[in-house]
Amino acid sequence: MSSHLSKQFDLELEGVRTRVLQMGGLVERQLMAAIDAFNTGNIEAMQEVVRTDAEVDAYEVGIDEDCTLLIARRQPAACDLRLVMAISRIVTDLERSGDKAAKIANKSRKLHRVSGQRIPRLSDLHHCGSLVAAMLQGALDSLARMDVDAARQVIRADKEIDAAFNSILRQLVTYMMEDPRTISEALDIIWIAKAIERVGDHATNIAENVIYTVSGIDVRHTGSAARKAEKA
Amino acid sequence: MSAAVPGFAKILLSGVLPIVAPALLLGLVHGAAWGWAAAALGWLLIVLMQTRRLTVLAAWLDAPDRAGRVPDAGGAWGEVFTRLSRRLHHDARRVEEIEAELQSFREAMDAVPDGLVILDASHQIQWSNRAAGEHLSIRLPRDDGAIIEQLVRLPGFADYLGNPDGQAPFILRSKAARSRVYAIRAVPLGKHKQLLVSLDVTDAHRVEAMRSTFVANVSHELRTPLTVVSGFLEHFTDGGAMSAEQRLYFARIMSDQTRRMLSLVDDLLTLSRLEAEDAPASEEEVEMGPLLAQLLSEAQSLSEGRHGIQVFCHGPALRGNRKELHSAFGNLVSNAIRYTPAGGEIRIEWGTRDRLGVFSVHDSGVGIPAEHLPRLTERFYRVDRGRSRDTGGTGLGLAIVKHILLRHQAALLIESRVGEGSTFRAEFPAWRLPPLA
Repeated sequence: MSSHLSKQFDLELEGVRTRVLQMGGLVERQLMAAIDAFNTGNIEAMQEVVRTDAEVDAYEVGIDEDCTLLIARRQPAACDLRLVMAISRIVTDLERSGDKAAKIANKSRKLHRVSGQRIPRLSDLHHCGSLVAAMLQGALDSLARMDVDAARQVIRADKEIDAAFNSILRQLVTYMMEDPRTISEALDIIWIAKAIERVGDHATNIAENVIYTVSGIDVRHTGSAARKAEKA
Repeated sequence: MSAAVPGFAKILLSGVLPIVAPALLLGLVHGAAWGWAAAALGWLLIVLMQTRRLTVLAAWLDAPDRAGRVPDAGGAWGEVFTRLSRRLHHDARRVEEIEAELQSFREAMDAVPDGLVILDASHQIQWSNRAAGEHLSIRLPRDDGAIIEQLVRLPGFADYLGNPDGQAPFILRSKAARSRVYAIRAVPLGKHKQLLVSLDVTDAHRVEAMRSTFVANVSHELRTPLTVVSGFLEHFTDGGAMSAEQRLYFARIMSDQTRRMLSLVDDLLTLSRLEAEDAPASEEEVEMGPLLAQLLSEAQSLSEGRHGIQVFCHGPALRGNRKELHSAFGNLVSNAIRYTPAGGEIRIEWGTRDRLGVFSVHDSGVGIPAEHLPRLTERFYRVDRGRSRDTGGTGLGLAIVKHILLRHQAALLIESRVGEGSTFRAEFPAWRLPPLA
């Protein structure tokens, strides 16, 4: 990033960015652990994911305070201000993603406690999970490198997640229609799929904030037409 | 300074004398005024000439001639130009040499299989080699100056980097290729810098995982029959009422289970012996006719007349360890019998093909789905857990076969179709067969 007259300010700003990315690393691991645990039925791993959620929350509170202090003491301007604003929004997205990971773990625990699976573990769900994990990683990488192209790629990938989610939904509906006894299990799996899909949305938000920080353009809630116009 | 004196004299001779001498002469002949005027004109000329040469020098310094030509400037100036040019050339050559050295050093560092990253005091990346790019997905120049904790975000890594003294290396499971495992060590470099060294330890981890699953498997395999036996023994000692018939039934089950444990331990001992030595203790020419006859009689007693078993022997003798070959072939035959339903056909064959010695066992059994074939010779690998234990397998048979065949430089080929049967084929190299007469 650009250098300032005040070296201390640079250090503080980079420090906050590092902490956000550390928090992101934690959420990344949570998400992957939750998805793996859903597949393998490892109850211990699920409990670990739920436990670590407190750590993510602690990160959120700490970073939010750092941002407030930074604004109050340094009164950043231009791209620095945008970075601080973006960070405080990204933190929220990360915290929500962490919650989603905990939710996946919780629901999987419930699913595996009930004996006798009627619905096989859908491979689509695992595929969707690894796609979302890759998206989150891409979003955080784009934040680390302030890479607008990488951020755009993340935003584009969200479409794929939505398609995968719909296909999972269709499969589950088929199961439920064939055998009403599968309904409660199917509902839990839908919760899990929805949680995964939401993490994809949060990753998209993070990527949008990266674009905002670098270029000062707010790409939130803009359709593909507006994005095309901005590119031109 | 000694070189400066002749230089000074030269300047005096070439620069001053040509002006002073005519001025003095003119002054003597035409009077002082003429003399002074000539001197002033001469000085003016000199100043002009020097200024021009200085301009040339400045221009030449800005853009030195590539071919190393020096601008023509007579006298003392020429000397200055030549020396400067020599110095410039010398420096340029040094720079080239150093650059070449640096380049070859970089190439050497890129060839190092371990990842290397140099971090400054605030953990910014200053330099990294190619392997680091693979291990930590750091790429120069894109990530030059990036803070490493922002790129390697695994929880615990930042803590490790902050306090690496005397700690075991940090274990990083790569996300890009999730199967890779790296050990990262931070080494202090100079006063404030750090050198990160990342090592690919995937294989070591895999071996470790294999070892622990092996121990778990052995314990499990021994535990199941032991539980059965101890359960029945408890029942016996409780003195519960039991008919003679029940007692006999229990005793038979217990003896079955004990036999299973025995055969498991036997197989384990065989495997560990096979692993301990590289080559069979003794080799001889093994006559295949009698060996196949022996296999046939063993097969018939195991099959108890439920299968049609045929033996064909149309090959020469085979050089190898008789006991080991018997064990390997016996395992293949007993597998065929155990996985072929009653009424099936089993064909045992020894012959030559393309000058290779081929031993094959073909059955019309249940067959093996293709996805299991590559892992079939792993210890305790079972296609169908319940079934193979019912039929009395230890899960080590094919592992033993593989080891014995390896010691005989033979290859094990498996062909199978679900529902149609399987063919296990051992191909021995030509030199293990007697030379053709």
